[in-house]
Amino acid sequence: MIPEPTLSHLKDRIAAADHPRELVVDVMFALQEHYGYLSDEAVETTGALLGMSPLQVEELATFYTFLYREPVGRYVIHLCDSVICWLDGAESLRDHLCRKLKIEMGRTTPDGLFTLLPVCCIGYCDRSPAMLVNRKVYGPLTPEKVDELLEKLKQESE
Amino acid sequence: MPKLIIDDISVAVPEGTKVIEAAEQVGIHIPRFCYHPALGSVGACRVCAVKFLQGPFKGVQMSCMIEAADGMVVSTTDPEAVDFRRHVIEWLMINHPHDCPVCDEGGHCLLQDMTVSGGHGMRRYQGKKRTYLDQDLGPLVQHEMNRCIQCYRCSRFYQEYAGYRDLGVMGIASRVYYGRFGPGTLKSPFSGNLIDICPTGVYTDRPSRYKGRRWDYERTPSVCIHCCLGCRITVNVRYREVVRIEARYSPTVNGHFICDRGRYGFFYASSDRRPRKARSGGAETRPKNARDEAAHRLEEITARHGSGSVAVVGGSRSTLETLAAERRICRQLGWQGPSLFTGTEESAAARRAAGHLTTDLAVSLEALKNADLILVAGADPINEAPMAALAIRQAARNGAHIEVIDPRPVTLPLEYVHRPAGTDKISEILRGLGKPSTEDASGDIQDLAARLDQSRRPVVVCGAGKIASERTVEQAARLARNLRRAGKKAGLFFVMTGANTFAACRMAGDPADLETLLLMIEDGKVRALVVVEADPMSEYPDLARLVDALAKLDLMVVLDCIDTETARAAHVFFPTQTFFETGGTLINNEARIQQARPAFAGGTPISQTGGGSHPPRVFRDDIPGTEALSAGQLLMDIVSALSGGISRSVEEFDGVAPEFSGFDPVEATGERGTWAKLPLRTAAGPDSPQMGGETPIKKGELLLVESVYGTEALSRSSPWLQELESEPALTLHPEDASRWGLQHGDRCELSTEAGALTVPVHTSRSTAPGTLVLPRHRRLRWQVFQHFRSGLDTVRIRKTGGEGA
Ligand code: SF4
Ligand code: SF4
Ligand code: FES
Ligand code: FES
Repeated sequence: MIPEPTLSHLKDRIAAADHPRELVVDVMFALQEHYGYLSDEAVETTGALLGMSPLQVEELATFYTFLYREPVGRYVIHLCDSVICWLDGAESLRDHLCRKLKIEMGRTTPDGLFTLLPVCCIGYCDRSPAMLVNRKVYGPLTPEKVDELLEKLKQESE
Repeated sequence: MPKLIIDDISVAVPEGTKVIEAAEQVGIHIPRFCYHPALGSVGACRVCAVKFLQGPFKGVQMSCMIEAADGMVVSTTDPEAVDFRRHVIEWLMINHPHDCPVCDEGGHCLLQDMTVSGGHGMRRYQGKKRTYLDQDLGPLVQHEMNRCIQCYRCSRFYQEYAGYRDLGVMGIASRVYYGRFGPGTLKSPFSGNLIDICPTGVYTDRPSRYKGRRWDYERTPSVCIHCCLGCRITVNVRYREVVRIEARYSPTVNGHFICDRGRYGFFYASSDRRPRKARSGGAETRPKNARDEAAHRLEEITARHGSGSVAVVGGSRSTLETLAAERRICRQLGWQGPSLFTGTEESAAARRAAGHLTTDLAVSLEALKNADLILVAGADPINEAPMAALAIRQAARNGAHIEVIDPRPVTLPLEYVHRPAGTDKISEILRGLGKPSTEDASGDIQDLAARLDQSRRPVVVCGAGKIASERTVEQAARLARNLRRAGKKAGLFFVMTGANTFAACRMAGDPADLETLLLMIEDGKVRALVVVEADPMSEYPDLARLVDALAKLDLMVVLDCIDTETARAAHVFFPTQTFFETGGTLINNEARIQQARPAFAGGTPISQTGGGSHPPRVFRDDIPGTEALSAGQLLMDIVSALSGGISRSVEEFDGVAPEFSGFDPVEATGERGTWAKLPLRTAAGPDSPQMGGETPIKKGELLLVESVYGTEALSRSSPWLQELESEPALTLHPEDASRWGLQHGDRCELSTEAGALTVPVHTSRSTAPGTLVLPRHRRLRWQVFQHFRSGLDTVRIRKTGGEGA
């Protein structure tokens, strides 16, 4: 269940909007914030709040990279998967990350720490190859810098 | 009118025509997947590429996205365009499985056609194909997502065109998925159209799965008989079994689509419960014996009690030919009837409607889409004539204002204003609106009156039968006529009760309805009944009275193609052919005369004679199960065996309806010829003054209504549609509910002197206060209320389940 203050805050914003549907992404993010990912229940709640069917919410939820329809790890790594980063070795960096974390792209490590996802150009082409970890940008990356960062995050989490 | 040249042919087309459409006009079919005439263009698939040689655009462009303009020179055969299309197809085929032999779309698949004609005959791609899990979408539509080519036709049809929200497109890039939020039955009563519009085999017809390829089927153009609209269909028959119905394009009637009741209601035609043998006294007998017996007993009865002691009861699912035969027989032999309506009020309303529908006022479904204001009065389109709802939605999408005046909790897949008014109030409101000056209109309808005043193409959609009264019909017609006098292109669109109600209005005799006929049975005047393609025992609202009356008869002869309660009660029963076997003429709700040819010769399906294996290897010179004749023919045969009987062909209309004689049969394929409207002369019309007042409602009223599934005589036996039925419930306003201590979700018992039934309670604020709504559902014994609209002074309501029960 979503805490009452969050819910009533959302309801107020929706009531104030000219076109409630324009808030759909905000609502989904707020609910994702609460559940840690956009659960089925969150999709249904979003629909109920905005007068949309769950399917209509799902259509949008599955379109956006930063809305997670499955549980994700504590650190969500979005590795840039676009042309400038490719030129600067993003693909070998991807292989390195997969080897290091022993998971494929799109998966979460069994300890629940890391989720590895691709993302389209994040606008840090000047720092390519680049990636985001929990929305914070890192780059230009090398395998060594990645190792260092992963190590640091692991320690932080202990 | 822009003029352009396509492949060296010059063509002038109306402003706004897309190049792909312009090409069609000169017979050039440019490949397409995402473009669909009813859905418009989105430019999603890239397969309609052509080369623009001269004019405002240059080079390879999408012909579905570019409007024809003066001076354009377009080539569809330019090597660059051909090569472009070949690559698009190869690219679409990358993820598509290569297993057409096990795909049910194979044989009528647009992707197959395009792949082959586009010149992509060899696979080069060796990688993995993207695969998906399918969803269970319910009994009608089979899902196979791996075959998708992302044309978006399905989601556009489902959400934009039809207005339902439980199927759409999810995901992004190579994960794009068309389906529902979770597996489950599709909610739209138009879902079957997905099958027709998907250019590949993602959605296929589930009931006919693996029954054959399109080329195996006998395919015949025909007309749907599951409501009054008469949508065009294609009937598919294999091995003496109707296996599938598809929508058939008609620019004026149904456009490209049909509803699911029309698509899946055909089960009765090949059901193993269909009666195939004549019966006498409950025992099967040879057709000739049954005929002799019926004729003999009719003769006896008329000899003893006079010719007026025999009556014919019919209905609106019969063809014009059968109805004419009934009329001829009653006229010439002096029999009563034919009584073609159930109740007196229903018959009056329907006949008044038919009398008012002049050629200038009648609008087609297509014209309904172009209305700029639609006023629905005493009609529930989704439940009574589903495709009308789809047409109204298209009007709404084009900006029309839609307003519904009805006591039922009408739901339409669009935005509309609903005024829940009791049945007795509808005509008053209409009368207020119909006054020459809107100043007279009372306060709460002033807004609507003003809108009507500003509209240019208003259409009044009005029920005409069991719920909307004769007075409502009269006021609706007056309103439409006044609007026309005010210089508007106003239209009138009646929602009638059956497929051939219009013809029934023309052919009904005296008495026109069963209710009146019952009086004659009760006082012993009528001793024998010939019931033709009708089932009073499940259609008449006062079963107890009906049963008593029928018990007084010396003879009841029933002719029908389905096994009904009335058929089982008959002294002599004759199986008849279905509309698929007889073909025939139907007149739809806009007085459009439509004819269909027989789709097949009938007979017991091989799947039944062979018990699932090879058909029995017996030589015989007839087709098993073809004893049935058309009801009209059978009637003629029976009476010709009477002394002094008549022997005429059922196709002859002279004497009974001269406007139909010399009427030229045309196949159900075209729009020309006699696909025209005839002005019909019916008993009730603008000039017939006598009209009953509104029945005063005592303490509220209970309405017995139609629902999209479960009430219509033929489609209600379809097992696929039965799966879609929701449990029939009593719907009422929450404030009324609390009067009886009821809440949404409770169960209650409704009882009258004649009996009782128990149903769940639904409350809805869009139900008119004082109105109780109950479907005439096959699962309910609703025939205890005596009338389709009955005063609540005769009904008792008691809570039997739910909190505090
Ligand atoms: S499922 Fe069919 S109609 Fe829908 S996008 Fe795919 S190919 Fe087109
Ligand atoms: S709307 Fe009526 S005529 Fe058309 S397909 Fe449906 S049931 Fe048949
Ligand atoms: S391409 Fe990677 S940040 Fe732009
Ligand atoms: S038909 Fe033109 S892009 Fe699909």
